[in-house]
Amino acid sequence: MLNLIRNEWMKLWHKKATWIMAGLLVLILIGVSGIGKWAQSNMMQPENQPTWEQNLTETQAFTKAQLAEPNIDKEFKKQLEEDLAIIDYRLSQNEPPIDPGSREQHILDSNTMLSLVLMFAVIAAASIVAAEFSQGTIKMLLSRPVKRWKILTSKYVTTILYALVLTVIAIISAVIAGFIFYDSGSGVLLDVQDGKVVEISYWGRVIALYALQFVGVIVFTTFAFAIGSVFRTSSLAIGLSIFLLFMGPNIVFFLREYEFTKYILFTHIDLTGYITGNMFVQDITWPFSVAVLLMYMLLFLFISYWSFTKRDITA
Amino acid sequence: MEQQPIVELRQLSKTIGKKKIIDNLNLSLFPGQITGFLGPNGAGKTTTIRMMSGLMKPTSGEVVVEGQTLNDHFEETMSKVGVIVENPEMYKYMSGWKNLLHFARMDKTVTKERIIQVVEQVGMQNRIHEKVSSYSLGMRQRLGLAQALLHRPKFLILDEPTNGLDPAGIREFRTYLRKIAVEDGVSVFVSSHLLSEIELMCDRIAIIQNGQLIDLREMNQVEEAHYYIEAQPAEQASELLIAQGLVLEVSGSGFIAKVEQVQIPSIIHSLVAANLEVFAVQPFRKTLEDQFLEMTGGGQIAESHKK
Repeated sequence: MLNLIRNEWMKLWHKKATWIMAGLLVLILIGVSGIGKWAQSNMMQPENQPTWEQNLTETQAFTKAQLAEPNIDKEFKKQLEEDLAIIDYRLSQNEPPIDPGSREQHILDSNTMLSLVLMFAVIAAASIVAAEFSQGTIKMLLSRPVKRWKILTSKYVTTILYALVLTVIAIISAVIAGFIFYDSGSGVLLDVQDGKVVEISYWGRVIALYALQFVGVIVFTTFAFAIGSVFRTSSLAIGLSIFLLFMGPNIVFFLREYEFTKYILFTHIDLTGYITGNMFVQDITWPFSVAVLLMYMLLFLFISYWSFTKRDITA
Repeated sequence: MEQQPIVELRQLSKTIGKKKIIDNLNLSLFPGQITGFLGPNGAGKTTTIRMMSGLMKPTSGEVVVEGQTLNDHFEETMSKVGVIVENPEMYKYMSGWKNLLHFARMDKTVTKERIIQVVEQVGMQNRIHEKVSSYSLGMRQRLGLAQALLHRPKFLILDEPTNGLDPAGIREFRTYLRKIAVEDGVSVFVSSHLLSEIELMCDRIAIIQNGQLIDLREMNQVEEAHYYIEAQPAEQASELLIAQGLVLEVSGSGFIAKVEQVQIPSIIHSLVAANLEVFAVQPFRKTLEDQFLEMTGGGQIAESHKK
């Protein structure tokens, strides 16, 4: 199996597209940071910016007003109470939040750029099986003393490894861009754990956000891999995956009132909501999300293995 | 020839949609023997070869390699089989060497030394590290042969192997096949449209039409004797020959007669005695092409069953 993965890895990196995607990722991530910084410095900065204490006092009053409303959702209430606890703690202990213009905040926000990684990983996943068909090499590949499921597994593992490499490149690029364009700021991250406000590790939070975004990358990559191996053409797989990537959140938004939305894949793609508290759909817990995602992944993989091992090669 | 066959096709059938592409095909292939596989377009050659190389599954029947069925013992049987599909498609963006390395890694027994040895055997050592996209068709064919030989197969399947080889290359290829068949006892199965090629290369030919094996014959089989006879004036000659009970067929300015060798002297004698001018009396061998067209009825494409 290791040899098969080495084969796939070798083929992957001999393709120009692989290098171009990795290079583009670095360029775009650093470029976007540069443009963002440039735009920020060109903006008119109003005189007497409010201090963080003033901002927080305002938010505190607003949150209290919301809590005072009679019939608010239980989950939402709990969320607001935690927010309020953190604000109170910050004001009383003089612990400022992370400065929005700082390097730290920039790196923290950069996890959303993994959608770029997702797109590139989808392209690789869609073509790793389909390309063997379009090149005609599939006949050479499958007339070997290796069972087909092993070959497919090596391709899947390689795709996931490539997605992982791209993610690491993205983190490193974001950090480099942070160091080039932004200055370090002060501030700490706080969270409520077991009813108490505690300080949490900054890098721990960065890694956690990236890891949760990576889950979405894996799910979409698996989807594209399955479509690519069933239809044996990469364009359909890439098109469909990217279409769903953009349409998914809209679909969930339109259907958010219905019960079955809980079982739609896209409701669970962005798990960072469990950390940041921005959830579209209420009443779902993270074990439930993980279970739904696993079911979909298994379904995609089952279709892909079934199709690859059972069907004749007529190309 | 009471040898154990290396490969047996047992009642092999393949139905695609409602169309029977291969119908109850039985064939045994023996070590050291080169078998040609002929048939008009659409007769089912490619389908048969794909079932033998694990790319398609038979609807019924089985492919057996040294007593093990391909379906149940895929890895064991395929490690004895080398395949060159028509126009071997390689990974063009990699060098020839990396392509071979790729296929070598898919078989536990192939070492680096073996790759070097095979590269030398096919005469590619000077350009093996260049990208395949820069290779000519002939070089790709050589690389295709190299990848099929890496794991020292006991059975070699070749689908249209000489496409794109120049005459010298074809001859070299033929000699090489003969060599591995004789020296290593490899059984070779060659499909081709080039009948003259098959004729020169094979010990035996199998002819398939509409998914059925219609003929299997040894190439060195004694054929019915035919002679070409040319004598002038032609009319008198034909009368004389027919009078001797020969069946004639006009060919150019002479005739082809079905006649045993022992009768030839008396025929010449009678022609000379009748004062005819004899230009030629020579053995006439029907080419494989003639025989093939005769057997397959002109070789028109079998009823359409496009995949």
